[in-house]
Amino acid sequence: MDSYDQVSLSSLIRPDRVHKDYYIDPEIFKLEIDRIFSKSWLLVGHESQVPNPGDFVTLTLLDQPMLMSRHRDGSLHVMFNRCSHRGAKVCTKPFGKALRFECPYHGWAFHTNGNHAGVPYPERYADGFIEDGDFDLARPPKQELYRGFVFVALDSEVCDLDSFLGPMRDHIDNMVDRSPSGELEAPAGMFRYRFAANWKIQLENLNDLYHPMFTHASTTAEDGTQFRRQGADGDEAGKVKLLEKHSSLNMQWEEQVIAGHAYGHTYMQRFPMDRENQGPVYERYKRSMVDAYGGDAEAKMMVHHHNSIFFPHWSIQYMTQHIRIMNPISVDCTENIIIPLKLKGAPEEMWKSALRSNNNSHSPSGMVMADDMDAWVRCQEGMQANGHDWIVFARSVGEESIDNEGSFEALGTSEANARHQHKAWLHYMCETV
Amino acid sequence: MIREIEAFIYREARLLDERRFEEWIDLFAPEGYYWVPGAPDQEDPYQSVSIFFDDLPLLKTRIQRIRHPKIHSQEPPSRTCHLVSNIELATGDNIDDQISVFSAQIMTEFRLDKQRSYSGRVRHLLGSTDEGNFEILWKRVDLINCDGLFETLTIPF
Repeated sequence: MDSYDQVSLSSLIRPDRVHKDYYIDPEIFKLEIDRIFSKSWLLVGHESQVPNPGDFVTLTLLDQPMLMSRHRDGSLHVMFNRCSHRGAKVCTKPFGKALRFECPYHGWAFHTNGNHAGVPYPERYADGFIEDGDFDLARPPKQELYRGFVFVALDSEVCDLDSFLGPMRDHIDNMVDRSPSGELEAPAGMFRYRFAANWKIQLENLNDLYHPMFTHASTTAEDGTQFRRQGADGDEAGKVKLLEKHSSLNMQWEEQVIAGHAYGHTYMQRFPMDRENQGPVYERYKRSMVDAYGGDAEAKMMVHHHNSIFFPHWSIQYMTQHIRIMNPISVDCTENIIIPLKLKGAPEEMWKSALRSNNNSHSPSGMVMADDMDAWVRCQEGMQANGHDWIVFARSVGEESIDNEGSFEALGTSEANARHQHKAWLHYMCETV
Repeated sequence: MIREIEAFIYREARLLDERRFEEWIDLFAPEGYYWVPGAPDQEDPYQSVSIFFDDLPLLKTRIQRIRHPKIHSQEPPSRTCHLVSNIELATGDNIDDQISVFSAQIMTEFRLDKQRSYSGRVRHLLGSTDEGNFEILWKRVDLINCDGLFETLTIPF
């Protein structure tokens, strides 16, 4: 029996603060898996990770071992990586190519679409047992593809993907439309890391404009100028050059719009201090976009957002061009996967620059990522302390504008993004109580 | 010759352990680079993500950051011990004054009650300066866990 009911769950969330149990109680974490992660659309990855028939990747979704593969008819399949016989993982390679998956334990085999392909020496089973049994690799109840992004839902009762994404669909479009062929690729693999903090701490950080000038102070020189993050001096990446001028607390930050939509999604608008792109590579890119889209090219090239977070599980970062999948492992452990994205058809120099930006800022040694991870772990450890039971999110409380569709808008260093996530959390958690 | 090369590589490791990062960077040629691939068997740094892929300006930025008074992720600082062994000269592909050196390395890091160990194969391409000293044209570290799960990294391998 759950010890949390609707009243006790609601008492954890106040308009300007949340109780520390929100982050540190293992029972809350178990409820979150059932009521939030199982009721949302989760991002598995990008279809370009398995471009050709037989290609597969193994991956972790929440704490679940999964397998994504491209079948010989070109269809894409996401399956649980678990043999239907004795439960062994059928595949342990990170990625590769397979004609079919054969479990090494007793040789049960599966096609690359997950269908059962037979067992060795079937004569010792009762007649019809194998043929009539349900021995395909299990699949999540729902799977959808949107512009190359592969989604699954772990509960068939989830709303349709379109409603779930709502206006956030534009954020995916904005990333994809920047490619002259309207396609993204993930050709460079991924960064993987694990840190000892609750998943929600990271989620609250990604749209938090109050933290950079403190958390990332060590990425600025004495005169306040930001260390370069792009691949190399003089790069013209066709993308934003964040924080080039200044990252101390000033009005530039406060002009930035942060906003969000129903289901707990949040985002920031393009940084006001972004430099205009220019130079020969950028001109080449522009020409290819005009060739592809004519008069719409300029609108499609424009970066509209920064860090769009699709609650509760993943985000797009437009500046460095990556998707980040955030897997909750336990109440105090989260695993991240960061997959750099290539704009297919754009000049190769832009991809090289994007990849190097990802290396510089978001690898395990990344000069931005290390600061953030350290801060999140400090929070998790600090919250164990007695004395104060509440975590405060009161900055500019009540100043955000909220509409009837569940969207909000706020400015600058407001903590409205986190408050929006807290409300969505409570909604999910109480829905089935 | 091999004794001089060993001495150079041991000193390089000691500079890192003694946090003499500015002197460590000075070992690199102006166009030198430091590369730690994020996947095994990489042929070039644009095939996959990299844990480090730093030219000299970026290395300088890293060190500037490590020295920054507000680098909270190095509070307290990491203590490291680089153990270098299995040094061999690669034969056959030494061009002019360039020397290709294989070694194996274990870096143990201690910070905040946690001890971590990183092992890998190292390859140096060494050139020589006008003064006749060795300089690093590139250094590549292939960690055995290069595509594994990491916590934060700050000190070069």
